[in-house]
Amino acid sequence: MDEAQLKQILREYEVPAADDNAKKRAVNLALAEFDAAEKKGQKKFQGIPLLGRLMGSSTQKQRRTPMNRRLVYGGMATAMAVVLVCGISAQQIATRGYDKVMPDNIAGLESETFAPRKEHTAAQNKKEDLLRSRESDLRGGDSLTATERPESKNEFRTAVREKILPSAPAPMMRPPAESNVMAMDSIAGGRAAQGTMMYATPAIGIIDGEIIDPGYYRDAGRDQFGDFDENRIKTVGAEPVSTFSVDVDTVSYSFVRRQLNAGVLPQKDAVRVEEMINYFDYDYPLPETKEQPFRPSVTVIPSPWKEGNKLVHIGIKGYDIDADAQPRSNLVFLLDVSGSMNSPDKLPLLINSMKMLLDTLKPDDTVGIVVYAGAAGTVLEPTKVSDKAKILSALDNLSAGGGTAGAEGIRQAYQLAESGFDKEAVNRVILATDGDFNIGITNPEELKDFIERKRESGVFLSVLGFGQGNLNDRLMQELAQNGNGVAAYIDNLNEARKALVEEATSTLFPIAKDVKIQVEFNPATVAEYRLVGYETRHLNREDFNYDAVDAGDIGAGHSVTAIYEITLVGSGLRAVDDSRYAPAEQAKADANFSDEYAFLKIRYKLPDEDASKLITTPVTMENERRSLAKTACGPAENCLPDANDDVRFSIAVASFGQMLKGGKYVGAMTYDDVINMAQNGKGADEFGYRSEFIQLARLAKSAAVMEKQ
Amino acid sequence: MTERQDDELIKRAQEGDRRAFEALLQGYYDAMFRMAFKWCGNRADAEDVTQNACIKLAHSLKSFRFEAAFTSWLYRLVINTAMDWRKANRKFVPLPESGHAGIAPGNAEKDMQHKEALAAVLALPEKEKAALLLVFSEGMTHAEAAGVMGVKESTVSWYIHEARKKLTGKERRHG
Repeated sequence: MDEAQLKQILREYEVPAADDNAKKRAVNLALAEFDAAEKKGQKKFQGIPLLGRLMGSSTQKQRRTPMNRRLVYGGMATAMAVVLVCGISAQQIATRGYDKVMPDNIAGLESETFAPRKEHTAAQNKKEDLLRSRESDLRGGDSLTATERPESKNEFRTAVREKILPSAPAPMMRPPAESNVMAMDSIAGGRAAQGTMMYATPAIGIIDGEIIDPGYYRDAGRDQFGDFDENRIKTVGAEPVSTFSVDVDTVSYSFVRRQLNAGVLPQKDAVRVEEMINYFDYDYPLPETKEQPFRPSVTVIPSPWKEGNKLVHIGIKGYDIDADAQPRSNLVFLLDVSGSMNSPDKLPLLINSMKMLLDTLKPDDTVGIVVYAGAAGTVLEPTKVSDKAKILSALDNLSAGGGTAGAEGIRQAYQLAESGFDKEAVNRVILATDGDFNIGITNPEELKDFIERKRESGVFLSVLGFGQGNLNDRLMQELAQNGNGVAAYIDNLNEARKALVEEATSTLFPIAKDVKIQVEFNPATVAEYRLVGYETRHLNREDFNYDAVDAGDIGAGHSVTAIYEITLVGSGLRAVDDSRYAPAEQAKADANFSDEYAFLKIRYKLPDEDASKLITTPVTMENERRSLAKTACGPAENCLPDANDDVRFSIAVASFGQMLKGGKYVGAMTYDDVINMAQNGKGADEFGYRSEFIQLARLAKSAAVMEKQ
Repeated sequence: MTERQDDELIKRAQEGDRRAFEALLQGYYDAMFRMAFKWCGNRADAEDVTQNACIKLAHSLKSFRFEAAFTSWLYRLVINTAMDWRKANRKFVPLPESGHAGIAPGNAEKDMQHKEALAAVLALPEKEKAALLLVFSEGMTHAEAAGVMGVKESTVSWYIHEARKKLTGKERRHG
């Protein structure tokens, strides 16, 4: 483009009119901040960070060195003398990130004005600024009422645009009105809508290069996933023992589903095979007593991935608490109501999810709500569920987006939980966010420590992820792990129901904590092994018996599945050659164990105990099943000689997950094979989750074709 | 609002008059939003930025010394807030070099080239972007923009020169 064009384009840069509600909200928040500033007097004066940043900057590295801190003080003092007259308490300087906001280089005053600042400095500073907001009741007034539920796509969007944070029910991610209806139906009448989930997500608006609609917040590509490599094949001679922590999170599956529904293959790091497998409920045999909270079931079957190899399938089902015996719940929700949550698949979905949860709680349970956005505030003190109207009205008023007085979000949430702390109850903070973790503690490490300390005091944390584009998956996982909770990703009402309602007991009532699994392979029978998934849950061998090492938790009714692919001694299929110079010692098989493949050990702690207990079981040839193929066999039957439906289905999911990760270890298996295997293992599929999986495999098949082109 | 009335309001707000502060916000929100929108290219982000800027204003208004025009000073506040906001929200993933995500909704009817040009402007380094938006879009002189950005007039000219070079260069590579 030439200069004239550029000028013209910029001159004609159109800006839509400001939104009245957004304006109202901003003005109210600013006024609250103004009042707070007035109350505090000059002491809390906040001009410095702004001016500091306007005037000078240097590299982050410099700022971090202690020597520069002194410079910072000096620079700051000068800046204050020159530019403004104000007081700033020494404590404030000492306790807040002064070095991140203060000019430390007066010489750079002019030319460096717009120097880019490192991400966390500005971010933290902003958050600190915002979190200090005090007082004022901003709620009410401008929310959508239930009767205003928009009927058509366009109206709907307009409505969202006009009402910034609508509390209207059920705007699912599927924009058209019929989808809304479908969604509502599916709450009432089961999962009728499942299997027809080929819909366009809002994100498609970007994918095809067209800006469809800016009415609600949308972003893409900022989802953060931790990197990890797939587990490799290990030789039993070198590493006979495999140790890992259980994982009952399901974030990965929901995220993958969302991507596939949008017509694209998920990024590989987003695929955690174990989470995909554990998304589904399996009918493994239940433990008989509560004292032993779960029981492993082991199956050995031929591997579908490599002819001649075998799979060791370990299924664990947690003890299920019946509804009457459920302890009381003391829940505090910490909700993100920032502007980015202003999207039908975020805040409104969250509000609806919570309403559904409310229906399943007992009258005696308490619910508290803390919100955070520009400011943090308690919008609902812990309230008994019997006072449902009060809770509902608090939920409906969330839309105004205002926080009220209070400390930082997360501390406040924990404070509330502690105020209603009941040793007999399940005390839990549930954080719901789309990735914005400015909940008061900005340093992730500090945040994790904080959550860990609180966990020891008996308040646990679960994390619900919403939306797409900004999701910080890694942090979500880590926080939930540190808080003895689960992380779940919620992309539609069905998922919300699964995470919050159906699994309410398992999500809310831990039956065992720090559950670790260790498998020792018998070198006389097994030459090589490979664990499918659990890459991010790897533990060291010695961690198994070391009770201080944190591991995953299992809630009531949860099931956990782990699959190993093993190569037998003498099968001639080994992937790793023996060393020429240090030939593996011929394993002296103890004759007593010659029919054993491996020995499974599970270590766990009961929720309120600190000493671990041990469950062991050998994996023997008796556990062997002839084939993965389908014979007439129900999911709960122990159907010799073939594997049962649950085993079949979980292996289909494992295959699928590995294919999405690149398919390095699944041999010639295709998406069609996955579909067949899953069909064969579908079983009764009461809620349609498994049918949905099959649908996803079909979507993946076409997405893979598209990607190749 | 006339300038004198504004000055009066600002003074009263600085002294702690809540209603004067509210009047200021009411009067300037639209202008702040406008700048934020130009910076962000979409409504949701712009509203977040404007809201943060308003909150900031509650504290920083006291530091306004009537040495520059209040609007220039506000621009600076908004731009700084926007940069903070970007950093807080983009974390480790850089902005796509170009794309269509950052275009104003009202521009849907404009042609593709137009959109691409805007996206390219939004993806410029922050200082260059600021200079370009202030001068070409807001119609400021280089001196005025320099006032907002707190740099020398010649620096503004240089930023604009750099930005132009990038934008027109980009075009050539494409075409």
